[in-house]
Amino acid sequence: MSASSRVDTSKVARWWRSVDRVTLSATGVLIALGYILMLAASPAVASRIGASRDMFILKQVIFLSIAGAIVLAVSSLSLTGVRRLALIGSVVALAATALTLVHGVEIKGARRWIALPLMSVQPSEFLKPCFAVATAWLLARRRTQRYFPGLLLAFGVFGVILMLLKSQPDIGMLSVITMVFMTQLFVDGLPLFFVAAGVAAMGGAFMMAYIVFPHVRSRVERFLHPNVGDHYQIDTALRAFGNGGLLGRGPGEGRVKDLLPDAHADFVFAVAGEEFGLLVCLGIVCVFLVIVLRTLLKLMREDDPFVIVGASGLVTGFGLQAFVNMGSTLHLIPTKGMTLPLISYGGSSAMSIALTIGMVLALTRKRVGSNAMQERYQPAGDALYRRRAA
Amino acid sequence: MRDDHNDFGRDDRNASGTARGNSAIVSRLAGAVFGRLTGRNRAPKGQRASLDQMHARLLGVGAGFIALFSAIALKLSFATVWMPMEPEKRQIAPQVPTIPKSDPKGEASNDLVLPQVHRATITDRNGQALAISLPVAQVYANPQELIDPKDAAEKLRSVLPQLNEEDTIRRLSEKRQFVYLARDISPVQEISINNLGIPGIYFEPGERRHYPLGTTAAQIMGSVDIDDHGIAGVERYFDKRLNTDRTPLRLSLDVRIQAVVHDELANAMQTFQAIGACAIVMDVRTGEIVAMVSLPDFDANDFAHAPNDSRFNRAVTGMYEPGSTFKLQTAAMALQLGVAHVWDRFSSIPIHIGRFTISDMKTDHFPPWISLPYVMAHSSNPAAAHIALDVGAERQREWLHSMGFLDRVPVELPEASRPLVPSARNWGISTVMTVGFGHGVAEPPLSIVRGTAATVNGGILVRPTLLARDDANTADTTDQNGPLAPRPVLYDPAHDNVGPDSNANADASADVTPQGPRVLSEQTSNTLRKILRLVVTQGIGKNAESPGYFVGGKTGTAEKVGPHGGYLKHVNIGAFTGVFPMNDPHYAVYVMLDSPHPTAQTHGWTTASWNAAPTVSKIISRIGPMLNMFPDTANAAKIDAELAIPMDPGVPSGYRALGPGNDPGDPRNAPHAPTRREVAYRTHEHDVTRTVSSDD
Repeated sequence: MSASSRVDTSKVARWWRSVDRVTLSATGVLIALGYILMLAASPAVASRIGASRDMFILKQVIFLSIAGAIVLAVSSLSLTGVRRLALIGSVVALAATALTLVHGVEIKGARRWIALPLMSVQPSEFLKPCFAVATAWLLARRRTQRYFPGLLLAFGVFGVILMLLKSQPDIGMLSVITMVFMTQLFVDGLPLFFVAAGVAAMGGAFMMAYIVFPHVRSRVERFLHPNVGDHYQIDTALRAFGNGGLLGRGPGEGRVKDLLPDAHADFVFAVAGEEFGLLVCLGIVCVFLVIVLRTLLKLMREDDPFVIVGASGLVTGFGLQAFVNMGSTLHLIPTKGMTLPLISYGGSSAMSIALTIGMVLALTRKRVGSNAMQERYQPAGDALYRRRAA
Repeated sequence: MRDDHNDFGRDDRNASGTARGNSAIVSRLAGAVFGRLTGRNRAPKGQRASLDQMHARLLGVGAGFIALFSAIALKLSFATVWMPMEPEKRQIAPQVPTIPKSDPKGEASNDLVLPQVHRATITDRNGQALAISLPVAQVYANPQELIDPKDAAEKLRSVLPQLNEEDTIRRLSEKRQFVYLARDISPVQEISINNLGIPGIYFEPGERRHYPLGTTAAQIMGSVDIDDHGIAGVERYFDKRLNTDRTPLRLSLDVRIQAVVHDELANAMQTFQAIGACAIVMDVRTGEIVAMVSLPDFDANDFAHAPNDSRFNRAVTGMYEPGSTFKLQTAAMALQLGVAHVWDRFSSIPIHIGRFTISDMKTDHFPPWISLPYVMAHSSNPAAAHIALDVGAERQREWLHSMGFLDRVPVELPEASRPLVPSARNWGISTVMTVGFGHGVAEPPLSIVRGTAATVNGGILVRPTLLARDDANTADTTDQNGPLAPRPVLYDPAHDNVGPDSNANADASADVTPQGPRVLSEQTSNTLRKILRLVVTQGIGKNAESPGYFVGGKTGTAEKVGPHGGYLKHVNIGAFTGVFPMNDPHYAVYVMLDSPHPTAQTHGWTTASWNAAPTVSKIISRIGPMLNMFPDTANAAKIDAELAIPMDPGVPSGYRALGPGNDPGDPRNAPHAPTRREVAYRTHEHDVTRTVSSDD
């Protein structure tokens, strides 16, 4: 609702008709779960770090409200609006990420945050969705405009991001952005040979990270050898799940959660497991899966490469983030500090996810009216035709 | 979904008339997958192919996500339901309180079955509980979980009135996760508080030691600290045993005997205004201590606030000069070593040695030469000193060593201390003489009782014990036939069936043979029994007689050593060591009064024969029946005849009795220059060997 002053009832109604209400509701469900789990998980953490027990909750209420507003606002953007937002966002986020290297706040050995008056911001969080849309635009543009070096540009930007994130270092974010980029190339129609080569390159890069970064090595080692080294966090998380069982201990009845170091952020899924049990956790998994699959299925009906590649990149990032978080909490993959979208505590995370969802909703909106139709199909089709013909 | 359908249907590129709505999606998916490109006339062919490839690859992405999230779901169900990792107990301690279960160990050990209780009960020999652990709870709160501290404090006060409300509110408002509210509350209070339903209030189960009989045997029981570790008495001595084995610890004490002894001793203490007193009843054959009382005493439940004087167990920790009681040892060693015989005579003339004089009280008008039974019956210090001199320093010290007088008395109490005895280097001639009548050494009463037991039980040095004998006999009689194995008065098989004491259980205890090293011959023991009986029948122990129980014994009065080292005139330790029945000694009864005052009944005397001896008599009269021994007055004359020994025995032919003109031990008869050792002795230990004249 960028133009809220001019919004009239019919416009809201049109938005409501065109938006993907399943994904929208699923997002609402995630925000609601985020509130509930924050009530459960944060007081213990807050008291441990000496803050007021309600601090995290109050902050999260504000964060999630802003996030909700972002979702609604961004989802009402037109395709052009989304593209502009993403391109501007990419530039800003890229600059800010570069700034972290010289002006960042160092937390736990990594420079990923920029201190703002009210909160610390992790610019790479915003880089992820913006870059996904930017990539989609670059890739789609090369179809419509001859000699537009979209692929090359995309790789160039990706290379810059790679360097920046490696220097922070933020291997988790790096791998997610890489995965998203690869997925987008895959969806865009990259020959399978190159896809295989990309996967191989990722494997190689991972080996490099394993060799170069000690903290990566230690985490992988600990994952591969469960009986060696310190597994306090992951053991405590698994004990929380074990204590929960099928139906959980009930709201507020979790005890192991009090001992989880990052119960409100990285390990919030374990809190859900302890207090609400397997069924609710499966429900959370389903909500994420619904958002991802629903969007992918909706894209099946889209013919605009920009929309397809962009939205699929966005949901891939969203889904991967959820997977990495739940997977590391469950000891399915090596521990990787990544938030559970909209459920974990964190302002940067909530807003970047809101941006992601908002752009997904905007991209998958049904476009009513000939203008949109013309914009979407005619030029694109002509361009493709022209290129192939030539 | 209406909009969706309509909108989708509006997509006129699907001109082939593909079915509308959801079926359209399905068929489109299928079309994408199988690459059927029919009906896409309006889109250029290349664009169409590219789009179809995109759609197909989208499906691939979707399939990848299904795989990833299925893995999550699978691992999730493993982590929660199929193979859950149990939380550590401490992690969920407040959440899952342990359900109290009766302790299987306690059940198996026949102890009281109480939840949370780990320390074994201590009982007397009859199973009466002396120390018992009861379940309690500590109440604590997590103020972070409390909703309203004020309301919580008010509710708590309704159950725990001793709680200070203001203080509780303050503590409950603290920014902490743990505050203690009350300790050692009863299970009933715990349930009441639990029923208040205040969130954030928790209980910690514990146990607390109780001594239901309060002062009874308080010094023997001792106490435990807050962590249930014994800090005194048997609680400390058997600490490990009590915390590991739930079988009740059965002591040799009998609370009924203990009560009687306490009663009589307290009476005597009050009558004679003594500052302290102690009494022991010990089985002379087994060493079992049936009663041991030390006054003043205290409530064992309040050990922490008991004054030191009350905690002090005079029977094992107190060191007293035994006084004339020790003449029994002098006589025993002289007889056993063959140095003296009952017919030998000894000089009662005061002995002057250096600056000191050993004499009897001026009211005693002893003949100058008296026989050994006379020495014992009337308790002459110079004569006893002469006997000791005849034995000699080395053999005397050896004797005391073999009788256990030089070591800590072996009893199951950590408080048992070492006796105060001169070192072998300082064991000079004056030590020999003073020790001969019980001065110059300080012994705990239990040692005296033990030594006396050895002289009368046939010559075996038993080991005093606080544990009930754990043999089949005792166990059976205790369980089935009442509290105590009957102890019939046995003198002669002919009398077995006389009197009410001879019952079916007679043989259960009749064949108790003392265990331990032999220190005297049976014959010497027999003689000593007669002599001890003589003390009561004709000597200075007459007040100890209890008709029908054939009491024997020896008085002992020692002047107390004052704060400056010298003996205090008229401040005595009066003790009587009694044994009954003398025809077959079963029990030794010892009574000691610390600093008794004279009364009209004692005609101004503060000596043992006037205060301790009558107390022994009263105790024996009362506890005899409890010990299943009844006064045998029917055969009194006969038994007394058997026990009689003449005060002035004739010398058998062929012996040259000691006496006037034959007194080898008298230093005046064998004058010699004092050795260097003796000089040293006199210089350093003159305090101990001051004139000792007041004795009975």
